[in-house]
Amino acid sequence: MIKNYFKIGWRNMMKNKFFSFINIFGLSVGLACCMLIALYLNYETSHDSQHKNAPNIYQVVTAFIQNGNKRMKMPNTPAPMAGALKREFPEVIETARLLKLFIEDKTIIQFNPANGERKSFLEEKGYLADASFFKIFTYNFAEGDAANALANPRTIVISQKLADKLFGTQPALNKVIHVNSNTNGEQDYTVTGVFKEGKTPSHVDANFFLSVNGGNMEGFIKRQANDFASNNMFYTYLLLKPGTNAAKLQVKLPAFMDKYASKDLKNMGFQKEQSLISLRDIHLSSEVESNVTPPASKTYLYVLFSIAIFTLIIACINFMNLSTARSSKRSSEVGVRKVLGAEKSTLIKQFLGESILMTLIAFIFAIVITLILLPLFNQLSGRVITLSVSKDLMLFFEFLVMALITGVLAGSYPAFYLSSFNPVKVLKGKLTNSLAVVAVRKGLVVFQFIISVVLIVASVVIARQMNYMRTADLGFAKDQQIVVPLRTTAAKSAYAALKAELQENSGVISIGGSAYYPGIFNPSDNLIYKEGQTTAEGKRTRLNYVDDNFLQTLNIQPLAGRLFSPDFHSDTTNGIIINEKAAKEFGFSSAKDAVNKKLFNKFQDNTNTFTIVGVVKDFHYEDLHLPVTPYGFMLNTAGFNYMVIHAKPGNIASMLKTIEISWKKYDQNDPFDYSFLDEDFDKNYQADTRLAGIVGYFTVVAILISCLGLFGLAAFSAEQRTKEIGVRKVLGASVKTIVSLLSVDFLKLIIASIIIASLLAWWLMNKWLQEFAYRKDIDWTIFAYTATIAVFIGLITIGSQALKAALANPVKSLRSE
Amino acid sequence: MLSLQHISKHYQVGGNKNFVINDISLDVDEGEFVSIMGPSGSGKSTLLNIIGMLDEPTDGYHYFVNEAVHQLKERQRSALYKQYIGFVFQAYHLIDELTVYENIETPLIYQDVKGSERKAMVADMLDRFQIVGKKDLFPAQLSGGQQQLVGIARALIAKPKLLLADEPTGNLNSKQGEEIMELFRKLNKEDGVTIIQVTHSEKNAEYGTRIINLLDGRVESSKKF
Repeated sequence: MIKNYFKIGWRNMMKNKFFSFINIFGLSVGLACCMLIALYLNYETSHDSQHKNAPNIYQVVTAFIQNGNKRMKMPNTPAPMAGALKREFPEVIETARLLKLFIEDKTIIQFNPANGERKSFLEEKGYLADASFFKIFTYNFAEGDAANALANPRTIVISQKLADKLFGTQPALNKVIHVNSNTNGEQDYTVTGVFKEGKTPSHVDANFFLSVNGGNMEGFIKRQANDFASNNMFYTYLLLKPGTNAAKLQVKLPAFMDKYASKDLKNMGFQKEQSLISLRDIHLSSEVESNVTPPASKTYLYVLFSIAIFTLIIACINFMNLSTARSSKRSSEVGVRKVLGAEKSTLIKQFLGESILMTLIAFIFAIVITLILLPLFNQLSGRVITLSVSKDLMLFFEFLVMALITGVLAGSYPAFYLSSFNPVKVLKGKLTNSLAVVAVRKGLVVFQFIISVVLIVASVVIARQMNYMRTADLGFAKDQQIVVPLRTTAAKSAYAALKAELQENSGVISIGGSAYYPGIFNPSDNLIYKEGQTTAEGKRTRLNYVDDNFLQTLNIQPLAGRLFSPDFHSDTTNGIIINEKAAKEFGFSSAKDAVNKKLFNKFQDNTNTFTIVGVVKDFHYEDLHLPVTPYGFMLNTAGFNYMVIHAKPGNIASMLKTIEISWKKYDQNDPFDYSFLDEDFDKNYQADTRLAGIVGYFTVVAILISCLGLFGLAAFSAEQRTKEIGVRKVLGASVKTIVSLLSVDFLKLIIASIIIASLLAWWLMNKWLQEFAYRKDIDWTIFAYTATIAVFIGLITIGSQALKAALANPVKSLRSE
Repeated sequence: MLSLQHISKHYQVGGNKNFVINDISLDVDEGEFVSIMGPSGSGKSTLLNIIGMLDEPTDGYHYFVNEAVHQLKERQRSALYKQYIGFVFQAYHLIDELTVYENIETPLIYQDVKGSERKAMVADMLDRFQIVGKKDLFPAQLSGGQQQLVGIARALIAKPKLLLADEPTGNLNSKQGEEIMELFRKLNKEDGVTIIQVTHSEKNAEYGTRIINLLDGRVESSKKF
């Protein structure tokens, strides 16, 4: 029987190639979208599943509380936390600390082979880790012993990729390499392990791990051995005894904090609340701010998921509408079959069989589309998702189930509708569609277009916001700024000479040195308060350490007082320049009022005093998602992490060449590296750029499928009304009136969709825009654009069919009836 | 085998009842060949559909092979109908997407006849109607007479006791029509199939053993030969 259904289904499909094409194309694309997004969701939810201990691994999370206000939760803890937790709680079997080499974006790693040239690389994603790290987490070691790899000082565990780069085919074990880190200093390390990067992603995306002991951080950690309040910079992981209830352990943490940290915290003027997050939740939790790697954005996952579902729904609607619209052609078959003894249930099965056959064909195309588009999708989403027929058989099976469900969904309404025909009626003559079915069809078309129009509005709003963010005035000059990282002691000490030489160059406007620059992570902050206040009223203020030329180089505008300059060297001791926002937050009546006033900051038992020498206009040191907060500059004379060169517009390539030549003169050892400040700043919008890209592409897909469906319906409606058109033409109707007669029904639907979709999109996109502290709000022009686009697309789709019908020779169409 | 007692069918039009069949009583014995005649709108086809259980009367009693059809549920009626009745249409109503072979086979599929058995039965039927050579053609590739032949073969495949034909020769030329009527007579005489046909043609009606004339939903006259 099933064979029979498929046979008839196949013949029907071949007989109506146009409708079959629309359906199969739509379903293929819809299914492919679903598959790509399912792969993405699968990837995002698989983070850290490779660790054998995963169910028992937790990360310690800190919520900072000041004046009763909870700030965001952060996964950061002080150095002694890990040890104390293990001593205090028997259910904690093992703990490990992880520290990002947070000051640098890249670490210099060098290898001097006995015979051969020295190899020098700039490597990202370096971490400091306790030896116990590899006891908690499962890493697949190609060389060395995971359990003891980081037990000794100055040992390093590197990724296979890095090992290949450094040693080629040679074994890496026990080789000595030179590591130069801004965070941890400059030392030789022995390679004690090489790990293979697996297919399953982890929230720790390490390229190499350094032992905690042996570098600059060792001394720092020892000094902080009893400080449970400040220096919250370590990620602390706990391995709990199997069967331990993490919630019960969490309840004991306040008492633990009371015992170890209460005194220090009182001094610092804030409170901390500790909690635990399960390893597998880390990547999917947006509650915890700035984790090792950024978590999957929930919004992003929801958006992708809805897009996938809606694209598929649009394709299913095409199938339903075209099937019911064509029902008059199938009705006599239904009648005959019923007369021949078919029951309703048998016919339902037959029609479902046809839709399932169609989705199965679409499924095959969808797999091909998915395999072809995966690299592009990876590029768009910034992920490395792989799919192979042999390895992911289970996944393909799931996709098949998805396709079958789609077939049933798309086919059920037409199946019930078609199989309900009364044989006597349909065999007597042609059946006209009942009003109810026409209403359902119209409703479905409106629904399709609502989805498309919402997507158009979303694309336009996102594109406008992106454009706004890229072109907004940030309060400083971000163009023509070349950033040269000074990663080594040698580079740092070469800064003064380098600056002096390059300043002579006519292509250079100004050169400044700093610890951080706008757009990158600015880790230094302190609670700062003005005279007459206490630390409890302090405001969290980011601090940057700059030379006397940095503010001028970035063209940050003074508002009151003055900027740093070589004429006031005394500024190095306690001078501070704050931004407008800081002046307001500290409670000064105006920028002028703040100048020459004193500021304070308490650190452990010391109180530091600063004098405000100037106030500058607010500028965006963070991207436009975030509001401007208090910021302060302090004057330094050396030890900068970055040299920023403001170049005149012109030949950047030759400028870079000039800088490189000078660099080689003063620092022969280190590779020359540079970036552009505007590009670095825009990197913060990567997630938004991806969202924009994905929404953009899928909008096109959704519109394409909806339009195909509309095209099919218009073609069908024109065909059905051939006789009416013929009669009207004979009676003297012009082509114009006939085109409008045929188009106006569909246009009404499109306009209804636009109205509903605009309201929905306005609400949705306003929600999205709330994520940005600075945004381009939605105004009526967006809806005007969108309406124009939608009506235009709709008119082209319908109009072509209407025109074809209107131009047909009435003699022919009337004769055929 | 068939007994209709005071059967009526009407439609509500405004406040009036519009009778299509008005109190018809009719008995048909096994082995009869009945021709129903009458002008357009006299209720011939409706009567045939009621007999064939495709349509339901609004009033009256309907007995078929000793079952009270008017009391049966949809499913039982369908089972009864599948077992005993075959239908032939004026417009043939073959399924365009199916070959001659498959068209004839379809009723057997709905009666859950096994594949091998189906094959034998269809082969037998093709042979009997001498259309073996056309078994893989689609309806569109056949002449009207050939299509009606396939329609009859399809109606007979499940060995029905009662064959209902709604103007079976209406779309055929006289020669083709004659052939079909000869075939009906043979089926009736040799195979004992009871036949009820609706026809406009005096000549065709005379192939039957009884002619019933309808007018405005009533039996105007009935004569047996």
